[in-house]
Amino acid sequence: MPDGKATTMERQLRSRQRVDAVDPNDTPLKIRMRRISAGTRTGLQELSKSRTATVGGIMIVFLFIVCLLTPVLATHDPIKPDYRDRLAPMSSEHYFGTDKFGRDIYSRVLYGGQRTIAMSVAAVIFGLSLGIPFGILAGYFGGRVDGLAMRFVDGLLAFPGLLLYLLIVTLAREWKLEGFWNDAILVFALGFAFMPEVARLARGTALVEARKEYVEASKVVGEGSFSVAMRQILPNCVSPLIVNSTVRLGYMILIIAALSFLGLGTPPPTPDWGADLSVARDHMQTHPMIAVFPGLAICFAVLAFNLFGDGLRDVLDPRLADR
Amino acid sequence: MLVYVINRILQLIPVVFVLSVLVFGFVHALPGDVIDSLAGQEAAEDPEVRAALEEEFGLNRPIYVQYAVWLGNVLQGDFGHSLVTRRPVSQELFERIPATVYLAVVGIGLSILIAVPLGTIAAVRRNTPTDYVAQVSSLIGISIPEFWFAILCIMLFSLHLGWLPSSGYVSPFTDFGASVTYLVLPALAIGFRQAAFTTRLTRSSMLDEINKDYVNTGRSLGLSERKVIYKYTLRNALIPTVTISGLQLANLLGGTVVLESIFSWPGIGLTIFQAIQLRDFPMIQAGVLVLGVMVVLINLAVDILYRVLNPRVGMA
Repeated sequence: MPDGKATTMERQLRSRQRVDAVDPNDTPLKIRMRRISAGTRTGLQELSKSRTATVGGIMIVFLFIVCLLTPVLATHDPIKPDYRDRLAPMSSEHYFGTDKFGRDIYSRVLYGGQRTIAMSVAAVIFGLSLGIPFGILAGYFGGRVDGLAMRFVDGLLAFPGLLLYLLIVTLAREWKLEGFWNDAILVFALGFAFMPEVARLARGTALVEARKEYVEASKVVGEGSFSVAMRQILPNCVSPLIVNSTVRLGYMILIIAALSFLGLGTPPPTPDWGADLSVARDHMQTHPMIAVFPGLAICFAVLAFNLFGDGLRDVLDPRLADR
Repeated sequence: MLVYVINRILQLIPVVFVLSVLVFGFVHALPGDVIDSLAGQEAAEDPEVRAALEEEFGLNRPIYVQYAVWLGNVLQGDFGHSLVTRRPVSQELFERIPATVYLAVVGIGLSILIAVPLGTIAAVRRNTPTDYVAQVSSLIGISIPEFWFAILCIMLFSLHLGWLPSSGYVSPFTDFGASVTYLVLPALAIGFRQAAFTTRLTRSSMLDEINKDYVNTGRSLGLSERKVIYKYTLRNALIPTVTISGLQLANLLGGTVVLESIFSWPGIGLTIFQAIQLRDFPMIQAGVLVLGVMVVLINLAVDILYRVLNPRVGMA
């Protein structure tokens, strides 16, 4: 809604004036810090008005706290088998019961979450760091460079569904990568697959912005191309990128789970939501509860990012609000 | 229109080129080479045998020549032989495509049947409890991993209630009734997730249309609300919905790997998955390439269809 946007901007302007008016003799750094903190505060206020963003935000904070506190919250070693206590039901000793090796499912869900979320965050950061320079430079230079870059992006986007990940993960297996490197290659694959989307978004903005006068002005002043592209154009595509990255985090959790469900993620006995679900399939008939908790954990995490992403889009792009 | 179509087809060439280079590069990035897997350990270490084999397979030629030869063969439908069954890869693959297409089409069809009414009602009754229920359930729907949903369905409908078989495939041409019982669960698992996407899409494109001027004009001319909504608005709102469903069909062809492996559905996804486990590299290579090209072609068809349905979109 246009009026909604205007009032938001007015409010931001007013709050900025208020912040700047405190003491005109302050150092530029102090003013800048104050502006950032005030900006964050207004941002949080705006976000709290969106119900989806609030619920999603609370769920995400909860997730991250649980991930950080996993070593404290876990009651058992997630890997050590206990053959006297196999397939135990839920109890005060084992909150979610135990699996066929007698491992505590509650502790496995916690450790699995920590790994999955750390990998997703790393992959999003990697994808952004590849895609942003790629897209902005393509849009900034335009013409033949742009055409070539975008055909490359289209080629990557033509890999349907899981296939790009399957190819990369197969390579990792053939090269016999283990432990850290196995996870690293998965993060690489996830980030690499995110790159085309980021590049397209960044390129769209850059294409528009690069033809505006302020860019011309920066060039006249003698700023180099790369510096103009990164310092002047980049800030314009931040908000769609934030929304996309949030939603993508949820999607990456799904992909990681699907790959390990197929047995192509981290090899056992590492705790992993997808791999644990795959093991639980053997006991569907007799112990259906084993298949419930890792699945619920995946849903919770993905839903958190989807809700927050939805709410964030409404706030950052008021034209789409109320849809 | 013709110019547009020709233009689009020309644009496909670089895309398919990138795809083929990546797929070709995949096999070359594997450790070891064909000779190691064909000849035994001792033969592979004997330089004379190695040289002879390299000569025979053309491995001593520069890599771009090897690529050109490979591409030439692929264009003639020759993807080489499976390392496991020793049959031509193309034959194995093309036998498996119909099962995947069958599953994907029924799944998408099911999702449209659920999603279009739900999305329309949500948009018409915007900001009412009905709308909230539709929105929340579709958000939850896109957050549930499909393989987990599939497992839950198997536990309920086949293990607990015993209504449907838990996995397997019967061709609809041999026994239609049995084929349907095997199809229900996998199609439901696909349809459920897709329906969640499509509901969100239908709702937002309906809201787009409802706010347009012609809707008010229709109302002021005295047309009934039902007629305005269902005859005019819905028809326009469905254009993006149909388009996106087409694109999702393309994506599903490659995305059914997990479901095909859960339900032992003998489609192309399961074939690629099994090839990965058996290290049948020509099969993996060909499967990914064929699926990629199919995706590109479906996207092209959808794009052209979109322009036919909606002539206002520029032909640029």
